[in-house]
Amino acid sequence: MSSHDNAPVDPNTVELWDYEDHGHDFIGTRTLGFWLYMMSDAMIFAALFAAHGVYVRNFAGSFTSQEVVHPMNAIWPTVFILSSVMTYGLGMVALKKGNKSGVVNALILSFLLGVGFLLMEWREFSELAAMGAIPQMSGFLSDFWTIVIAHAAHVLFGLIWMAVMIVQVAVNGFDQNNVYRLLNLKIFWHFQAVIWVSIFTFVYLFGAI
Amino acid sequence: MLVDLQGPWNPIFGRLGLLLEVHYNNPIIFFAFMMVVIGGTAALSWVTFTGRWGWLWREWLTTVDHKKLGIMYILVGLVMMLRGFVDALMMRTQQAMAVGPDSPGVLGAAHGYLPPYHFDQVFTAHGMIMILLAATPILVGFMNLIMPIQIGARDMAYPYLNALGLWLTVAAASLVMIALFVGDFSHAGWVGLTPLTELPYSPGVGVDYYLWSIQIGSIGTTIGAVNLIATIIKMRAPGMTWGRLPIFTWTTLASNIIALTSFPVLGVALALLTLDRYIGTHFFTADLGGNLMMYTNLFWIWGHPEVYFVVIPAFGFLSEIIPTFSEKPLFGYVTMVLASMAIAGVSWTVWLHHFFTMGASPGVNSYFSIATMLVGIPTGVKVFNWAFTMWRGKLRFPTPMLWAIGSLFLLITGGMTGMMLAVPAINYLVHNSVFVIAHFHNMFLLIVYAAFGATVYWWPKVFGFKLDEYWGKVFFWLFTAGTLFVFVPMYTLGFMGMTRRLDYIPHTSWEPLLLLEVIGTGFYLLSILAFVIQLGVSIYNREKNRVVASDAWGTSRSVEWMTHTPPPFYNFAVTPVIHARDEWAWRREHGLTNLMPEKFLDIHMPKNTAVPLIISFFTLVCGFALVWRIWWLAAATFAAIIIAMIIRSFDKDTDYIIPAAEVERMEKEIVARAEGRIPAGEPAPVGGGAGGAYASKRTPTQRRDND
Amino acid sequence: MKRKKIPMFLRFFALIPLLLLGGCNTEHFWLFNPKGPVAAANLYYMVVDVVIMSIVIVPTVIFTIWVISRYRASKKAHHDPKFSHSNGLEVLVWGIPIIIVGVLAFFSYEGTHAVNPWNPTVITKNPKYADTKPLEVDVVTTDWQWMFIYPKQHIAVANELVIPVHTPVHFRLTSTSVTNNFYIPQLVGQVYVMPGMRSKQSLVATHTGEYHGFSAALSGGGFSWMDFKTKAVSEADFNAWVEKVKQQGRRLAYPKFAAFAKPTVNLAGKVHYFSDVQPGLFAEVIKNVRDGKLQYATPMFLTENMDSKEFKQHSN
Ligand code: HEA
Ligand code: HEA
Ligand code: CUA
Ligand SMILES: [Cu+2]
Repeated sequence: MSSHDNAPVDPNTVELWDYEDHGHDFIGTRTLGFWLYMMSDAMIFAALFAAHGVYVRNFAGSFTSQEVVHPMNAIWPTVFILSSVMTYGLGMVALKKGNKSGVVNALILSFLLGVGFLLMEWREFSELAAMGAIPQMSGFLSDFWTIVIAHAAHVLFGLIWMAVMIVQVAVNGFDQNNVYRLLNLKIFWHFQAVIWVSIFTFVYLFGAI
Repeated sequence: MLVDLQGPWNPIFGRLGLLLEVHYNNPIIFFAFMMVVIGGTAALSWVTFTGRWGWLWREWLTTVDHKKLGIMYILVGLVMMLRGFVDALMMRTQQAMAVGPDSPGVLGAAHGYLPPYHFDQVFTAHGMIMILLAATPILVGFMNLIMPIQIGARDMAYPYLNALGLWLTVAAASLVMIALFVGDFSHAGWVGLTPLTELPYSPGVGVDYYLWSIQIGSIGTTIGAVNLIATIIKMRAPGMTWGRLPIFTWTTLASNIIALTSFPVLGVALALLTLDRYIGTHFFTADLGGNLMMYTNLFWIWGHPEVYFVVIPAFGFLSEIIPTFSEKPLFGYVTMVLASMAIAGVSWTVWLHHFFTMGASPGVNSYFSIATMLVGIPTGVKVFNWAFTMWRGKLRFPTPMLWAIGSLFLLITGGMTGMMLAVPAINYLVHNSVFVIAHFHNMFLLIVYAAFGATVYWWPKVFGFKLDEYWGKVFFWLFTAGTLFVFVPMYTLGFMGMTRRLDYIPHTSWEPLLLLEVIGTGFYLLSILAFVIQLGVSIYNREKNRVVASDAWGTSRSVEWMTHTPPPFYNFAVTPVIHARDEWAWRREHGLTNLMPEKFLDIHMPKNTAVPLIISFFTLVCGFALVWRIWWLAAATFAAIIIAMIIRSFDKDTDYIIPAAEVERMEKEIVARAEGRIPAGEPAPVGGGAGGAYASKRTPTQRRDND
Repeated sequence: MKRKKIPMFLRFFALIPLLLLGGCNTEHFWLFNPKGPVAAANLYYMVVDVVIMSIVIVPTVIFTIWVISRYRASKKAHHDPKFSHSNGLEVLVWGIPIIIVGVLAFFSYEGTHAVNPWNPTVITKNPKYADTKPLEVDVVTTDWQWMFIYPKQHIAVANELVIPVHTPVHFRLTSTSVTNNFYIPQLVGQVYVMPGMRSKQSLVATHTGEYHGFSAALSGGGFSWMDFKTKAVSEADFNAWVEKVKQQGRRLAYPKFAAFAKPTVNLAGKVHYFSDVQPGLFAEVIKNVRDGKLQYATPMFLTENMDSKEFKQHSN
């Protein structure tokens, strides 16, 4: 390594300063940073899933997970969030073509599907609350509510972001800032879908067994 | 939904009614309050009477310059360290006074002068402040200040986020300081022992202050970590390959990988505890399916990596200082890098050593014991490599080197005691004893020593003059006397069986050693005086100690010594091309020390912005509102934060260009000043150098007003 | 040159604490004076560990000090400004710590089993204690007192532990409030005492005498006073003591225990004796804690900067 890293250079002809000014790849830097942020977000969910592993059977004489967790309830939300990701993907195709209205329409569609997802979760959890399965009842219920709502909060945040992007793209078009933001939101939105699928598998499917 | 609370609550003021019940006759709190009021008034009047408000706003409060942000990080860290030291002083005097059943009590305490809960708050605040609001900001400050220059960058990858990270740290520090006067602080140790932190056992607002201030601070640190890593990956100058990366930059990378991945776990641990306290869930309660060890696990999954997060950059300081004053390259660069990464990696697998005595099976305990001891291998490699760096060197011992060597010995002793703690059979005897306290203060002081060394080492680079050596040495030796007098007796008390967090000492046989420790804190007190004198004398004599050479020590090696002293706000007029591992040493060797490029290019710079400051202010208010459960205020400020972010996202005017001709003019002026062709006049503003004359918001042709 | 003097003078000053240590009375060093096989094993592993580490630490320190004094610039020693790599040394700097850690790992593994609180082999594998019938003691911590229940003897003692020498004592431990830590430095190392959970510990005292026991984990306002004397007495004395306690005639059933568990600072170091203890009390305590039926909130004023008057009101 060392021979390579102190390359022999002729001091008389050497280039000391970078007159080409290579600059830095703006969008690449922005998305890299966002990937790093996603890494820390992934750790949040890793910790929550670890906690789920601990609390999954702590019913404390209250509702059991079979009474509370219904995979069928989670199927429609799954469909919605996956479709939302797909429509967002269509938006990205439109972005490549520079099709502004295509992007805006795709974002609106994704946004509506995301809202649908949240409404269904809202319904599921109001039903749970109505039957008394509130987070204060047991370690298991605390954990169940928390992990699902933590994900829902991310989705809500993504929706706010999406709404802002709809306006941004409509107003400012595809400037550098909007392009990297759209790419970052794509990462974020895909990630939330991945997390939802894990929740569906580990919390809903396994919880019903 | 919400939990039942002891004490009053109303929708407008939340729990603030509690304040009417607290005893405000406490002279200690009153004294502290007066100190803060006097200090604050003095600072504010100075700013007002010297007409510096505009300057403060333009040059500091709204800056996105990584150097200025770095300096402010360090300043915040030093101030909080002073606060932490006052806490240490109180603990040491309380323990020395409250020995034996016959010891008197004053100020309403049964023994000594601090009642139990007050004492408990003192060490909790001390530990939390020292780690998260003193050591962390100081280290992150140096990363900000030095690392971008070391890789030949003009700024960080995200200057705006950088400012946000700083101001969130300030918000966290402010929240802790507010807790001193408005309500109280957590009394359950810096680790937030569950279920002691649960509402039934901590009914006041103390734990809430603890939760929200750490939460805010750790968001700041995570943002900082994203920024630093992205900067290292993306902003390196041409030719700066991974194999040529300065070693401090490597340690910054290793350390921030830890931060990025571990702080979210802390966030989750605290958030779940917050849910327990605010809405009555059962995560860490003893009843109804809670699991209180889960908190301990999550906390230490963060907590142990965290201690390496703070120690690895300190290793980086040593690796920069020791070669400079040995006039030799660092021995074993590649192994040093591998060792840093190994420490970072292993740090994830050892957390259970903080609760060996929980009674896990011997298989589990021995696994974690061995994993813990593995850290000794890369750390040992580092120690040996530093020794071999000095071997056959030409050693000089100015203050940075003294601090570095002191640090090295602290590492060896602290490491040895750490390795003892890592053996469960020994740990069962000394867990939760002052032996552990002495172990980790050894380690933390290693960091403090390295950071003081780094301060003296990089000071001339940043401010353009050296610090006074005589007072620097007095500071070093007084501080070292303090360290020995406090922590040698503390190790001894550990062997005598003294446990930690005692506000009353039942055994009179410990008294002599406790008194010795008080003498130690006396030395520390004097050392702070020496530090202040050192700063005063150095600033007073700054013309005499002025450094104009880019390389203040004459034997430095890395890229930060390749720009002007002090660096202009754009760091490098033209980005340097890197050819060797120690680029500056390489250029010196080949006589390529001319810093003036042949031609100049336009420079692209970020503009100042007040948004980070505003967001952080709302965050502070939101945190306060959450502590006191003033829901409307919390909701309003939270909405304000989101709105501020959205508004900022529509701001397109975030950058500006300095034309090449202007850069050339500024560069020539810097050189002319350095050569004495232009009278030095007013000292150049901190971190800005002559080029700093142009605060980023102003048009480049506007001269700096004489401030 | 005059300026250099102060640092030199301080350098010697710094050694004073070490001198003072030499003068200390060794009997106060509980960790070096074990009175039972468990604590003795702990000490043994400490000595082994330190000796093995010294094999590398001591030469490292000596080498570093030698380098620092040998290569100061003024000494004009051989200067090798290029030296930064050596394969032989690299192998050495990685190899030596690896070997040392390997050896330490072996002893750590062995020691962890030797003093394992659930099954300390220094007691269970020791033929000396094979035939002795162990004494069982259930330990319950409250805010901020200790209750020692002797289920076989149907007695209980608060804030004092009496055990016969040369007899293995098996503890089961739990807490009614927050986590505490059971520790008798001269007899046995620490183990957590956690609410709603049960931990275990074992010890043997080999010398009669009085040893300090206390909680080693912060548990709130009365924590510093959570001490209990541990009296190791002869077999005969122990039996006599049990009989004496039985005469006291204060019954301890769950309701009484629940009242005892109210937050109390044991400022005066009071000891209470109970006879006729309800069987299964320990299990009932755990169950009630888990169900949330045994929990006392700490009164608000005990968590603020209370003054001694209020403090004493809540003390015994
Ligand atoms: C980085 C971490 C750090 C640092 C540096 C320190 C530094 C010190 N600590 Fe700290 N301490 C902790 C982290 C730290 N501590 C933690 C985590 C705990 C555990 C808390 C718990 O139990 O929960 C603890 C607990 C703790 C205890 C509690 C013991 C117990 O539980 O019984 C004591 C008691 O003596 C103590 C003492 C000291 C002393 C004397 C110093 C001295 O070394 C201080 C030296 C510092 C100075 C002398 C200040 C110098 C300042 C300047 C130079 C700045 C000047 C600035 C301006 C003028 C602007 N510490
Ligand atoms: C910067 C901070 C820092 C650092 C670097 C370390 C480093 C180490 N720590 Fe420490 N530790 C803390 C901060 C730190 N620690 C804190 C804050 C706590 C308690 C918190 C609380 O409870 O409040 C703690 C507690 C703590 C415990 C738990 C104690 C208890 O509560 O019971 C243990 C146990 O294993 C431990 C071990 C170690 C080890 C093995 C190292 C190793 O990394 C040390 C490695 C270094 C060396 C070994 C020396 C140099 C090596 C050589 C010269 C080579 C040759 C030597 C050998 C091969 C042996 N530490
Ligand atoms: Cu109970 Cu660990
Ligand atoms: Cu650790």
